[in-house]
Amino acid sequence: METFLQQLTNGLAVGSIYALIALGYTMVYGVLKLINFAHGDLFTIGSYLGLTLLTSLTLTGRLGVLAGILCLVVMVMGLVGLIGALLERVAYRPLRQSPRLSAVVSALGASIFLQNAVMLIYGARFQVYPHNVLPKMPLGLFGLYIPLVKVLVLVAALVMMMALYLFIQKTKLGTAIRAAAIDQGAARLMGIDVDRVILIVFLIGPALGGAAGLMVGLLYGQINFTMGWVFGLKAFTAAILGGIGNIPGAMVGGILLGVIEAMGAAYLSIAWKDAIAFCVLIVILIVRPTGLLGERVAEKV
Amino acid sequence: MNKMSRVTLAFLVMGLVAWGCAKKETGPIKIGLMGPMTGPWASEGQEMKQVLDLLAEEANGKGGVLGRKVEVVSEDDGGDPKTSALAAQKLVTQKVMAVIGTYGSSITEASQNIYNEAKIVQIANGSTAIRLTEKGLKYFFRTCPRDDEQAKVASQYIQSMGYKKVAILHDNTTYAKGLADETKGLLEKGGAEIVFFDALTPGEKDYTAILTKMKAANPDAVFFTGYYPEGGLLLKQKKEMNWTVPFIGGDATNNPDLVKIAGPEAADGFAFVSPPLPKDLPSPEAKAFLDAFTKKYGKPPASIYSVLAGDGFRVLVAAIQATQSTEADKLAEYLHTKLKDFPGLTGKISFNDKGDRVGEVYKVYKVNAQGEFILQP
Repeated sequence: METFLQQLTNGLAVGSIYALIALGYTMVYGVLKLINFAHGDLFTIGSYLGLTLLTSLTLTGRLGVLAGILCLVVMVMGLVGLIGALLERVAYRPLRQSPRLSAVVSALGASIFLQNAVMLIYGARFQVYPHNVLPKMPLGLFGLYIPLVKVLVLVAALVMMMALYLFIQKTKLGTAIRAAAIDQGAARLMGIDVDRVILIVFLIGPALGGAAGLMVGLLYGQINFTMGWVFGLKAFTAAILGGIGNIPGAMVGGILLGVIEAMGAAYLSIAWKDAIAFCVLIVILIVRPTGLLGERVAEKV
Repeated sequence: MNKMSRVTLAFLVMGLVAWGCAKKETGPIKIGLMGPMTGPWASEGQEMKQVLDLLAEEANGKGGVLGRKVEVVSEDDGGDPKTSALAAQKLVTQKVMAVIGTYGSSITEASQNIYNEAKIVQIANGSTAIRLTEKGLKYFFRTCPRDDEQAKVASQYIQSMGYKKVAILHDNTTYAKGLADETKGLLEKGGAEIVFFDALTPGEKDYTAILTKMKAANPDAVFFTGYYPEGGLLLKQKKEMNWTVPFIGGDATNNPDLVKIAGPEAADGFAFVSPPLPKDLPSPEAKAFLDAFTKKYGKPPASIYSVLAGDGFRVLVAAIQATQSTEADKLAEYLHTKLKDFPGLTGKISFNDKGDRVGEVYKVYKVNAQGEFILQP
């Protein structure tokens, strides 16, 4: 039982990071029907920017640990959001009227560009977050050892997801985003500025991805310029698992994928844990081709 | 065209061809370097390049080799088998006469046949997997020792510490799996019980699920045969879990980045098996080399594998000078049979008929509280 609970917390921590990244994929897909392949690299940029800001501004020293980290999260989210919006302006908007494949190629190009830019700026070696930024003490709970950082990451991820959900469901802007996701043409006829909606989507998605990057840095300490690939792939899988284009789906999918991985590693084989996770994905897609929470949408003819 | 001009033309063509050949003989001797300049092992590859640049500079300062300049042509293998096959083809088309490298065994394995078919001598510096030299490739050599010896030293150390229940974790690469299998066999023969044997996926960040599972098997010690980026993360996350089991690593954990990633607190007490570190090399050649390296780059080399790449370069130059030739057949024959007890930076070097280095011993190191690697007696 102890092992089970420990593995569950392990899975939840990784899963919440997958979920945060998956939100970026799913939001962009929902509105544009485009897989933003550069999203994983925006995540990487988030963790590198976090490192730079953390070491150069010494916020945690000046404002105390929690306020410093909070400030850092806001700054990283803002900066990565801006980079995301810029990416949309440069790489995707000029191709809005082109066939969908052109935008996908552009996304792949943007991914390669960003990854190499990070490599050239920061170098190809590992970068390491300073140790002891956050207090190291593990929380001892029912014989489980959970590092405090992990709890914070989980809580932060859940708060961000709740905030996003409320924003999408309750605000006027959120309604506009939902409308644009259903039918861009009709939304435009209703007086919604679709370009602005897309810009906002490209601010929020990358901002969440950047926050996830910062969390990975704080949680695991070691970052490198290729890590966006592994996390991006997993998050993309999570988005599909939950039903791509569906925001609660991305959250459920991410957390589920994390837990499946941890349980697969715990009770079957570690070396096969990715294979197990992907088998579950295939089974779910066979039973529900649109993902767990995806809605069955009639093909537009 | 009359007969006269035809003859003239023929002579002209012959002359051009002859000039071309002669020019090839006086041009620089191109030696390839294939290493992980980017990717997870970039710190190894970049230092390999620094070492070869320094040695080539020294050789050219002394008038070159056979009166020709030495030029190091480096290609990035990215620590990835697919990239290494491309890098090998690039080096072959650039007509290098020999190649130094590379670090990871599965990366070397992907390039071995390409070099062998092109008749290019390859001297690997960090690839210790047993099967690399069991294929009967004529032009393949390595300056690092082999994993069967490493497994022997590792299992002796584990038994001498009195660990009865051992967990073994590898990462499914050629090197790590080979070393894990070999050590498992030796430990079982020695009466120890293997309570856990599995592989992690390199490149991930969260290994807590694996650590939790391993902890449930309740081992006396864990032997990790993978590389230092994952090794560092394992140590860090083990510490965060409040698990105090001793960790032992293979020679691929021997890189200062391990401590950087884990943090000195978590790395304290970690033991690993490895050829001696650059700072512990006793020979006068090594001292002179370390001084020259420090003078040029501001700090001594951190990794033994870059120094082993330097040894590959040095035996190659010795072979070219002894045979007065850059032909792969002559060089390979010389290295296999005639080179005996060459004074290398990492000790005396001779190769057996498989291309393996003979008679070098692994040592056991331990990380102290300051994160330094201390040679164990």
